[in-house]
Amino acid sequence: MKDRQPTGTGEHAAPDRSADRWNDKYPHLGTDPIPIEPYISREYFALERERIFRKVWLNVGRIERIPNPGDYIVVALSVCRTSVVVVRGKDGQLHAFHNMCSHRGNKIVWDQSGSCQNFTCKFHGWSYGLNGDLRFVPDEARFCDLKKDKLGLTPVAVDTWAGFIFIHLDPHPTETLRAYLAEVVPGLEGYPFPELSATRFCWRTEIKANWKIAQDAFQEGYHLPVRHKASAADAFTSGTNPHCHFLSLDLYERHRRTSSYGNLSYQPTLVAGKAYQFGSSVVVDHDIALDNLPAGVNPTRRSDWSIDTFWLFPNFSIFPSNGTYLTHHFWPITEDRTIWETHTYFPKAADAGQKFSQEYSKVLLRDILMEDGTTLEHIQDVLASGAKTHMPLQHQEICVRHAYRVVEDYVGFYAGR
Amino acid sequence: MAEGGWPATFSTLQPFLDWALATEAERTQKRQTSEMADIQAFYTAMLSHLEDILVYLNQFPLERMPPHAQQLMDMTLSLAEIAPAVELFGQPREDDTFDPFRFVPQHQ
Repeated sequence: MKDRQPTGTGEHAAPDRSADRWNDKYPHLGTDPIPIEPYISREYFALERERIFRKVWLNVGRIERIPNPGDYIVVALSVCRTSVVVVRGKDGQLHAFHNMCSHRGNKIVWDQSGSCQNFTCKFHGWSYGLNGDLRFVPDEARFCDLKKDKLGLTPVAVDTWAGFIFIHLDPHPTETLRAYLAEVVPGLEGYPFPELSATRFCWRTEIKANWKIAQDAFQEGYHLPVRHKASAADAFTSGTNPHCHFLSLDLYERHRRTSSYGNLSYQPTLVAGKAYQFGSSVVVDHDIALDNLPAGVNPTRRSDWSIDTFWLFPNFSIFPSNGTYLTHHFWPITEDRTIWETHTYFPKAADAGQKFSQEYSKVLLRDILMEDGTTLEHIQDVLASGAKTHMPLQHQEICVRHAYRVVEDYVGFYAGR
Repeated sequence: MAEGGWPATFSTLQPFLDWALATEAERTQKRQTSEMADIQAFYTAMLSHLEDILVYLNQFPLERMPPHAQQLMDMTLSLAEIAPAVELFGQPREDDTFDPFRFVPQHQ
């Protein structure tokens, strides 16, 4: 049985009411309601495609998925009307390409992941090396002046940070991945991603909602006592913090991070209690060795802490907790359709007890996410009605405000209007 | 030992063998299509033995469990699956939530 005594400082302290008026900390964001148009406009979406998704680094997963030469994953990048293959080459390096044969455009890979020696098109049999070079063309002599050395797969830039794989559709991006993430990653340096990434669970769904509507739902705790009343409100709110105010947050130029409150008096259910004997959970676990977390996770070092969030622009987020973390991807398809993908990661389960603990943790997470899922489509269903033009936001929803601002700074839809 | 290698102490769990399901998708299907009374009965039976089951299972390597132990393992995973239904929602699927069959596991 774990010792459940609090180990940090600040337990049961009432939240500092001056510190959580976040709009005051970031006056440049203003306090006006934000417009609804970016969530419904096809024109706005087209600009997001050209000015954001074609122009920035995008996370497509973790390196543990492709450890060996020939291992590949395929990313459906519908927002940019392409599909991208990321493969580990024979040289051990990662390569990424548009998933498109140089001959007549057939997708060279049709599954979502796998392992191969080379990529052979299922249309006419053109074959490419793992580095994208065109190696073999059946009946080659019947082509006139075929420049095989110019007909490799079209490259996409690829790089990694802390085991996370990022791609950039510009094969020669002007900004390195390291520079792109520089303002936010110091907070995550030292988090044990390799150890915690041994066990990967993933769910995927297509929702009828704009990608920002979906993402916004996870960027504030204001909805938690209402939307998650049955599942998680007791763990993330209390008499001293009934509205799930953040413990801390930082907004950067493009990215942002938050720390969420955890109720130290929360009593887990019977099965949850058994599960916590064997491992960590996304629901509050107060056996937190705060000293073992990197300084940037729960930076205020309060013991009444549950989970942090790191929002990497534009559509990827990492939620580090104690002994487990999760990620969300929101992949736009159209202005009102999105692929929502959640991963949750754990250490390798050493025995049945840990496996049970991880199963309970992921099932509970999934059921909590199911509570979020419904609102997304209900919102989108009426958003284009024209009944409202703007949304008022409170201090605790400043991440939604910041997300709108960053997107708009890239898109420039309202600039000059 | 009882039939099939089951330890006699867990013999009361054999009527619940239909919960020995290998994947999350199967366990979700079972939860979402079962009557609450049946879910509750499985919950009660499993919870009273849970710690003993896990201690017993911990003697086997996870990837090479004998068949009866794998069944018990899968039943504990089903307990994890239905625990929120019993302890939090009082029904297999909470009112007004996203269709669980649309949130598709990409894992086993």
